[in-house]
Amino acid sequence: MKKLLTAFSLTLLIAGCNATTAEKPTSLQAQYEVALKNAQAAVEKAAAVDGEWRDIRWKKSKKRYLPSAIKAAEAGDYKKALELLEIATFQAEAGYKQAMEQKNAGPRF
Amino acid sequence: MTKLTKRLGPTALALCIGLVLSTQVSAADLEAGKKIAFDRSKGNCLTCHHIDGGTLPGNIGPPLIAMKSRFPDKDKLRAQIWDATAINPHSIMPPLGRHRILSEKEIDLVTDYIYSL
Amino acid sequence: MKKILTLLLSAGLVATATQAVSSPEEDLEKFRIYYEQRFPGVQLDDFGNGPYALDVNKRLQWESMEEFPPYEDYVDKGREIWETPFKNGKSFASCFGKDPSKVRVKYPHWDSKTQQVVTLEGDINKCLKENGEKPFGWKKGKIAHLGAFLGYEARGQRINVVIPDDPKALEAYEEGKHFYYAKRGQLNLACADCHVQYPGHRVRGQLLSTGLGQTTHFPVFRAKWQKAAANGDGMGTLHRRYGGCNGQVRARPFKAQSRQYRNLEFFHTYMSNGLEINAPGYRE
Ligand code: HEC
Ligand code: HEC
Repeated sequence: MKKLLTAFSLTLLIAGCNATTAEKPTSLQAQYEVALKNAQAAVEKAAAVDGEWRDIRWKKSKKRYLPSAIKAAEAGDYKKALELLEIATFQAEAGYKQAMEQKNAGPRF
Repeated sequence: MTKLTKRLGPTALALCIGLVLSTQVSAADLEAGKKIAFDRSKGNCLTCHHIDGGTLPGNIGPPLIAMKSRFPDKDKLRAQIWDATAINPHSIMPPLGRHRILSEKEIDLVTDYIYSL
Repeated sequence: MKKILTLLLSAGLVATATQAVSSPEEDLEKFRIYYEQRFPGVQLDDFGNGPYALDVNKRLQWESMEEFPPYEDYVDKGREIWETPFKNGKSFASCFGKDPSKVRVKYPHWDSKTQQVVTLEGDINKCLKENGEKPFGWKKGKIAHLGAFLGYEARGQRINVVIPDDPKALEAYEEGKHFYYAKRGQLNLACADCHVQYPGHRVRGQLLSTGLGQTTHFPVFRAKWQKAAANGDGMGTLHRRYGGCNGQVRARPFKAQSRQYRNLEFFHTYMSNGLEINAPGYRE
């Protein structure tokens, strides 16, 4: 009985997973593709004003949100990819904003 | 009079519940807040502040003691932690919330912990 | 509408114009006076000893370290590099002149031909390439050993960076200056936040040095770098340190010898004009 149950729940699980991968991927993937473009543009914009933060894509960073997002998407995990892109975009935009706010920074003794 | 009590009743009740809820910070939450505050890759408050129980504290900012008397209003304490530069644009203290160095939940935990000092 | 725009624009222009840019000489004077007033007991040259100028205990530890300085071997290695001829028979002397004690003090400098700041490391690798040799890595190893030797030979001479009256040179200086004072990275910290506002204070266990004198002893032997190196070589260049201080605040470090870091070095070294060269140094 117990075996049956686990088998049953397993099939359910698999079915459930299949259902999500069968139905949602196009929309998630499409979302991802848009988000990736946005993130990349935001990162370039921050880099252009020397405002890029450490963990977006620098090779020695342990986090590397942008390349990690691309990796996650390649592995089919669009949900994770979208989460990582959200962070990368936030950091890029904040870095750009910071650089703009600091434009007139100078000595103050 | 009856009108007033009718009006005040629910407010007082809400206030009471609020108070009870806000003062009831579990020991586990305090411990979690402390961990975040001490962790170098999280709050890293010890880099700049003395906190009782922390090793090798820096002395850039004031020691974090008797916080309730310095910040009777806990929201103000949270605001200082969330973005010190809103209060002093030149502050060296990192904007822990504004730059998402900590999550909102983590800021809450740290605030509760610091408030207990 | 257009009128309003031009009005606004000209107002903006006026605002930036009145925020007159101070000259390098004025910057230097204010910078030095600030530290001298803040640390009245410290002799000018002593600022080149970083944290050890500011704390008696640290100084004692450091002085015992200096009895058998760990950088000595690397000065010797640097001398060897200087003296070893290239495959074409020439040597570094063909690029820098025969006297190794006259090299360090020329850097960094503005090169009017290429319209950029030239550093010692830049010229070391330029010399290698021009002579058909493989250039050194930028941040550590041979480039730092040779730098240590040239610094050692120049000890006692004074930093003398010249900012020529050339708008492009001034622009480079201004960019370096801005770099030092602008907050950056997720932690939102400027170099000046730590080294101008809080020298003498501790971040965790480390005592913050003054911006004044911060470049006189480079390349430097750092115990921390020594620990991280498989071969125990703790030597590193100024740009290696810049990268470290940028990464710490969670800003993306720039490449060693990037325009940004060369211009920073230009400003940063100029601020220590008149101080004694005391390279190579030892630091924690
Ligand atoms: C880089 C140094 C630095 C770090 C890291 C830092 N602070 Fe601060 N903090 C300061 C300084 C400096 C002040 C003084 C006010 C100012 O300049 O903003 C300050 C002020 C404060 C105050 C107000 C104290 C008062 O009595 O007015 C609180 C509360 C505080 N910090 C909490 C924290 C907490 C909690 C953390 C860790 C999550 C933290 N700080 C991390 C530097 C720092
Ligand atoms: C969070 C504070 C902090 C910030 C911001 C910071 N540094 Fe540092 N820096 C340190 C500490 C700590 C040390 C090691 C102790 C010392 O020598 O000051 C150090 C050391 C140095 C040294 C070596 C000094 C020596 O005597 O060998 C240089 C050069 C330096 N920093 C340059 C910079 C520059 C340039 C920036 C901006 C890009 C910067 N720092 C930003 C904390 C900081």
